[in-house]
Amino acid sequence: MEKIERLYYAYFPEKLLGEVLTKRWSDNFIPILAAILVIGFFFLRDPGFFSVGSVVETSRQLSEFAIVVVAMGIVLLAGGLDLSIGSVFALANIVALICMNLLEWSVGAAFLATLGIGAVCGAVNGFLIGYLRIRAFLTTLVTLIIIRSIVDIILLKYAVPISSAFPDAEFWYFIGEGLLFGLPFSFLVAAVIIAFWHIVLTRMKFGWHITAVGGARRSAYNAGLNVKRIVFLTYVCSSVMTATAGFFFAARLGSAGSDTGVGLEITALTAAVLGGNSLGGGRGSVAKSVFGALVVLILTDSLVRIGVSGGVSSTILGLLLLAVVAIDVRWLKNRHKILNKVYVSPTYFKLPDMPETAKGTDSPYAINDRLREVSLIGKGQIEGPEDVIFDRHDNLYCPNRHGDIVRFKAPDYSEWEIFSHIGGHPLGMAFDKHDNLNVCVGGMGLYRVSPDGTPEKLTDETNRTLFSVIDDSRLKLADDLDIAPDGRVFFSEATIRYDMQDWPQDALESRGNGRLICYDPNTGSTHTVLRNLQFPNGVCMTGDGESFLFAETWGCRINRYWFDGKKKGQCETVIPDLPGYPDNINKASDGTFWLALVGMRSPALDVALSMPGMRKRMAKRVARDEWLFPNINTGCVLRFDIDGNVIESMWDLGGVNHPMVTSMREHKGYLYLGGLYNDRIGRLKLANADPDWTSQDDYWGKSS
Amino acid sequence: MSLMRPIKQGLARVLGGGGGDYSVTVPVMDGPLKPNDVIEATGRIAHIPGGANIAEIDGTLVASRGPDLLTVSASGEAAPRGTYDADITALAVSDRGAIALGLSGRGVVIENPDGTRRHVDSAGDRALTCVTALAFLPDGALAITNGSAEFAPEAWFHDLMHHGASGVVAVLDPGADTATLVATGLRYPSGICPIDGSADRLAVSEAWRHRLVEISRTGRKVVGDLTEELPLYPSRIVPLRDGGYALCNLSVRSQLIEFVLRERRYLRRMIRDVPPEFWIAPALSSKHSFKEPLQAGGVIRLGIHKPWAPTRSYGAIVGLTPDFHPAWSAHSRADGHRHGVTSLVQTSQGLVALAQGNGDLFAISETGAPLAQAEDTAKDAS
Repeated sequence: MEKIERLYYAYFPEKLLGEVLTKRWSDNFIPILAAILVIGFFFLRDPGFFSVGSVVETSRQLSEFAIVVVAMGIVLLAGGLDLSIGSVFALANIVALICMNLLEWSVGAAFLATLGIGAVCGAVNGFLIGYLRIRAFLTTLVTLIIIRSIVDIILLKYAVPISSAFPDAEFWYFIGEGLLFGLPFSFLVAAVIIAFWHIVLTRMKFGWHITAVGGARRSAYNAGLNVKRIVFLTYVCSSVMTATAGFFFAARLGSAGSDTGVGLEITALTAAVLGGNSLGGGRGSVAKSVFGALVVLILTDSLVRIGVSGGVSSTILGLLLLAVVAIDVRWLKNRHKILNKVYVSPTYFKLPDMPETAKGTDSPYAINDRLREVSLIGKGQIEGPEDVIFDRHDNLYCPNRHGDIVRFKAPDYSEWEIFSHIGGHPLGMAFDKHDNLNVCVGGMGLYRVSPDGTPEKLTDETNRTLFSVIDDSRLKLADDLDIAPDGRVFFSEATIRYDMQDWPQDALESRGNGRLICYDPNTGSTHTVLRNLQFPNGVCMTGDGESFLFAETWGCRINRYWFDGKKKGQCETVIPDLPGYPDNINKASDGTFWLALVGMRSPALDVALSMPGMRKRMAKRVARDEWLFPNINTGCVLRFDIDGNVIESMWDLGGVNHPMVTSMREHKGYLYLGGLYNDRIGRLKLANADPDWTSQDDYWGKSS
Repeated sequence: MSLMRPIKQGLARVLGGGGGDYSVTVPVMDGPLKPNDVIEATGRIAHIPGGANIAEIDGTLVASRGPDLLTVSASGEAAPRGTYDADITALAVSDRGAIALGLSGRGVVIENPDGTRRHVDSAGDRALTCVTALAFLPDGALAITNGSAEFAPEAWFHDLMHHGASGVVAVLDPGADTATLVATGLRYPSGICPIDGSADRLAVSEAWRHRLVEISRTGRKVVGDLTEELPLYPSRIVPLRDGGYALCNLSVRSQLIEFVLRERRYLRRMIRDVPPEFWIAPALSSKHSFKEPLQAGGVIRLGIHKPWAPTRSYGAIVGLTPDFHPAWSAHSRADGHRHGVTSLVQTSQGLVALAQGNGDLFAISETGAPLAQAEDTAKDAS
């Protein structure tokens, strides 16, 4: 059973599902599936439908219909509804025919006149709905009737003369019947219109404004958008596009029938909604409209071809609309629920056995209360000092959760000031050769603070992973860093799937969600060095100029990575089985390394780690505050050498002074302790440490 | 309905939507059960680490600690009174001055005031190895709850994690040599008392089913529920002089424990691989080791452990009306230490209770208000 589970989680891309659902384009799956099903079904039933001649004819119909559906989609996107398009279509048809057949205008003039009539109809709709704030449904229903009556009046008078006249214009017939590059002319025009609107809606200001108005009208207004004008314009655009379609229809058939465009609004609405455009507004795209149009057109045409009567076919279409609207409502309502349930995606992970930690044993991890003698700095004055560091004048720097870097002044550290405000949650820190403070800021990226306190962004993105579903180029949780002798900054990004406040959730997954990144200040470039690490943390140069140590928190191990030299690119595990979750690593004065364990392993969670199904169900069924968590209420400080031998450990048994240790820094014979959820900094006198040693001197030499 | 039940259960299990027995919902503590700090705030009478049960004999408090019985003076000093050959798991005192003691693995011993002793170790074919509560009935009979056939009282939470349902209620009649079984198949009965002073109707707390049930002594059957589903694991029930009852509790229920109880495979592995003190299971006290399971809400932030945090151990006394509706409650929450309040007596000082979690003996008023008795509380108030 366990083996099956392990293989399943190793190879089945379960987390993809959650990631795909976070994408807006995931809405398109259903219409695309519907299109494939419909095409497949009728292909089997009636292969003749897909002969070249039939496809060309269908593509002419499709181009007219698709333009109308895209027009409907735009109105829907802005939160409106346009029922008058059927009548506008008919009016455009009749106007084009009058201009061509009776007035014998040129094609261009007739085209402009048709569009003009369309624009006027749209402007009436837009004015009533946008500026006078009348309900879209009622308004367009009324204009539907009025425009239809106008068409009927015109037809009474001109139907016979239109059908008896034949315009003398080659181009007119070319529009209706001609082929360009083997494709119908109207099809090409439609393609251009569709492409244009796709770009407008996804890449241009006006399109974004439409989406904003449809998504949240009040917010759009508060954001300074001219909501009335935008709504007005969507109706104008819609009617102009419908008029274009009507013009093509006129050129194709040249008939002034009284049933032109009857019921088109319902068909177009069905297609738009079927494609995935939301009736509520704010969600939709041109691609969705086109797919919807394709499905509905093939469906109606094919129903006719296989001999279903008009009434039945209309009924089918109506039921389809009803079903699609119902699905749309349910999907919109439940999508985030599904997402909540599937996003946390635990995987199989088995930790090595936990080493002995019992008090009084000769294990290097044996519990003691050496941290009890810690004296406290800034108790109650500082919130969340994840890391501590010292400048050359012995001043102490630490970040806090408000996004500041706080400076405690030497020598007694009782006075403090805000050295710099960056924002986010600053985490790991390191001084470079020129006394600039480099900081990893959770939620923002890598920053550099100059000695006078001015922050400057170094980088907030890296190269995107090939074939990744979610965009992982932005840095979500830059965690700790260290600087190589040549100035390159190596830093860890703990996880690409969770934000700062959700970091322990990443432990539930225990997947390699994190990475190591290198920023090169000489070229200003950023690139990912290593990926798929389990919450990489605590980067620390070994001092040989070609490798550094880093911790994998949920993996409970310490690794060494070579970025230069003979072993360049290799990664080796130094300590594979820590009893707790490692955080920052820093140098000790005797060439060994300090390591903070932010929390300890609990046996019940260790068992759960090898049972991803259990954790997944827990994430679904149990309230978040009740989830089983890594125990980050107790921690300790370890010292180890480069070969991975743990030399000593320091604990605070009751957790009285230091409930959590995320980092420590040795400075002039003392060890200073920071903790992400603490309100204090600890200071401990070290018995055997070099009283003059500072990490600044060790990294960059004595100051001149 | 009954035909659909297995299907519905199967669906609930697979879909995880949480229906029926697969729901991990725990009733909210609201109304009379609304959490407070009364148990933490009230003064301390005595500190008896390891203390397990208390009773009052002739106006003197006695407490058990392991196999020892101690007397507790008014100033809070504990002095030995007697030692028995096994851990004392339950205590009861009759109106006539007889003392009944439950002994772990040994059964029940009754010491009469005239110095005679009776020892009973079985009821019918059941051995009384896990005596969880004792109560003298008005006719002089002794009502006994035996929580589990498989586990000793010290291992009470093992019974929960093994889905135990082997508890029995037995009655030892005044003249009889053996106890008679009254009800079997109960899920850890852990408290018993006569209802309304009747010798026939017994209220029994069934811990793993989070409820009090009425059991008929003559009818030898479970009559029905007395309470709604509780968010706690109920234990001892003590009738109060002015009517009503006080209900002690082993611990609080939590979604995570309910969830783990339904995860059979995880449960098996946890029981196999994890030492019992680190199980995801209720406890009488917690926060002793980092190896204990921690839940998200229990993370200490800026030095503060949130009182609402999910916890394995809890202290709660619930006051019940004569018809078993909750009327008031006193709590020691996640950030407190007086957890595992399982034993209570009504004395002239009010309701005196013992928290097994840290061994504190304390008193609250009959209406569930804190009483300031010790200096430390007086200091806090000033």
